[in-house]
Amino acid sequence: MHPIFQHRPSRKLWFGLLSAGVVIGIIGALNVLINGHAHVYNVTREIPWGILIATYVFLVVSSTGLCLVSSLGHVFGIEKFEFIGKRAIILAIITLLCGFGTIGMEINHPIRLGIYAIISPNFSSAIWWMGTLYGLYLVLLSGELYFLMKGMHKGAFALGMAGFIAAISAHSNLGAVFGLLEARPFWYGSFLPIYFILSALVSGGAIVSMIVYFNHKESGTPMPQKYEDFMGTLGKLQALFLTILIFFVIWKIIPAVYGHPPEKFEATMATLTGPLAFNFWFFEVLLGMLIPVVILLNPRTRTPGGVMWAGLLSTFGIFFMRFDLVVAGQLVSMREGAADLTNGLLSYVPSITELAIVIGAISLCLFLYTLAEHLLPLDVEEDH
Amino acid sequence: MKNKRYAIVLDTKRCIDCKACTVACKAENDVPVGRDNYRNWVDEEKLRGTYPNLGQSFTPSQCQHCANPPCAHVCPTKATVVSPDGIVHVIADKCIGCKYCQTACPYNARYYNEVIAAVDKCTFCSHRVYAGGMPACVETCPTKVRVFGDINDPNSEVSRLLAKNPSRVLKVAQGTKPHLFYLT
Repeated sequence: MHPIFQHRPSRKLWFGLLSAGVVIGIIGALNVLINGHAHVYNVTREIPWGILIATYVFLVVSSTGLCLVSSLGHVFGIEKFEFIGKRAIILAIITLLCGFGTIGMEINHPIRLGIYAIISPNFSSAIWWMGTLYGLYLVLLSGELYFLMKGMHKGAFALGMAGFIAAISAHSNLGAVFGLLEARPFWYGSFLPIYFILSALVSGGAIVSMIVYFNHKESGTPMPQKYEDFMGTLGKLQALFLTILIFFVIWKIIPAVYGHPPEKFEATMATLTGPLAFNFWFFEVLLGMLIPVVILLNPRTRTPGGVMWAGLLSTFGIFFMRFDLVVAGQLVSMREGAADLTNGLLSYVPSITELAIVIGAISLCLFLYTLAEHLLPLDVEEDH
Repeated sequence: MKNKRYAIVLDTKRCIDCKACTVACKAENDVPVGRDNYRNWVDEEKLRGTYPNLGQSFTPSQCQHCANPPCAHVCPTKATVVSPDGIVHVIADKCIGCKYCQTACPYNARYYNEVIAAVDKCTFCSHRVYAGGMPACVETCPTKVRVFGDINDPNSEVSRLLAKNPSRVLKVAQGTKPHLFYLT
């Protein structure tokens, strides 16, 4: 066991909490396997994609973001970012795998997917491309991690570059999974593929700030100058990403309310004043963007701790961004005369089982990452 | 000789919202019970006018058997296929249950059927049609709202109705080229 983790009771509590989370997730998963999707999920015919799809998106956005931010170091040569490489790539792999696990619980036949995606592929399907590109991305990330662990910088650069391209392709395509649906005006168009790349950067920066901060905090020693400098730079970069994101959010809204375009307007109003309004204004806007930007733009609060807090809050906010994006796109009924509408909208509230699986997936991510910290040599200084 | 191209022509002025079509469909196609499970439906349009001058229309519908079906474009495993006669089918064994087709269909014509373990939808009762019969919804309707037939045959009843009457399709702007035609 890594010496810095010995004799720390908080470790036990941390692992205890995460284990409890994983157990909750396993109970949820068993409930689905025993009783069937329709009986334990609150997704419906009209809203077939719920919080599990949102969590999948959240996790793979995190993965892409970690890959993009780490590539700033070992691909784009920004030296300050090089030392986060291994940790970022390991967590990118873990979040991706947990994301796959989450979507595996949402779709009814993951085994059929494995078979028919290969023997009966549909190249016009964005979900087919999603599986293929994320599969490729996973292979490249694993290779990149191997080279990083072995200290082989040329190999890490080459696979890092390929991984960067795969990450951008896979992730913009994930935006296209939603963006290619003409039936859903709230999603349709080229906005989402582009927005997904930017929001991945925000996610990645936020998570890296937490990795560096907590990893160091564990050591119980004062933070070295190198880490402090890094946190300062990351904080400035994160402020830039977040301010750009704010403009993306504003320009997503304006065309959707200007002139009341049918269905897009109703879905957008559901997030501004309707059932998703609290999620939007409190979690997305206030916690996810405004407070972090204020922390990060003020040099007095842009301390390592401040940057970590901004990252933590953004990550919370981003989870709600994913949820609201997935749900809002389906709230407007496809049929005008449909029954069961509340104020003209359909409704979706996640079930206990869905929530249990979300808790399980996120706990498993953190559990596996903490384990990796224990078991693998992730400090990079001696490589140079 | 040209392929057959099946379609339904609906005269909604005749619809009395009795929902016999929905019941017949459920019985014919073993549609499981449950809020979400149905292959066809009757939408109630908004009440028009003020008392005592009132009016209301009903729009019975089902899978539109589109010539440009978004459900088939998005399916990752080609589980949704279009027959040469225009009927859009789901191959149950290939369905992975991702529900992408459900989010892609602008008519909400699809649901996940737990019994057959696949997404399910109207097939124009192809098992009856290929045996020389009519879809159950067409046959059961007491006021003959729906007429089923081959629009590639100029002498079929559907062709004659479409020649003599103006008609519309649902959500024409989606570009899906639906094959349920509503007489106006």
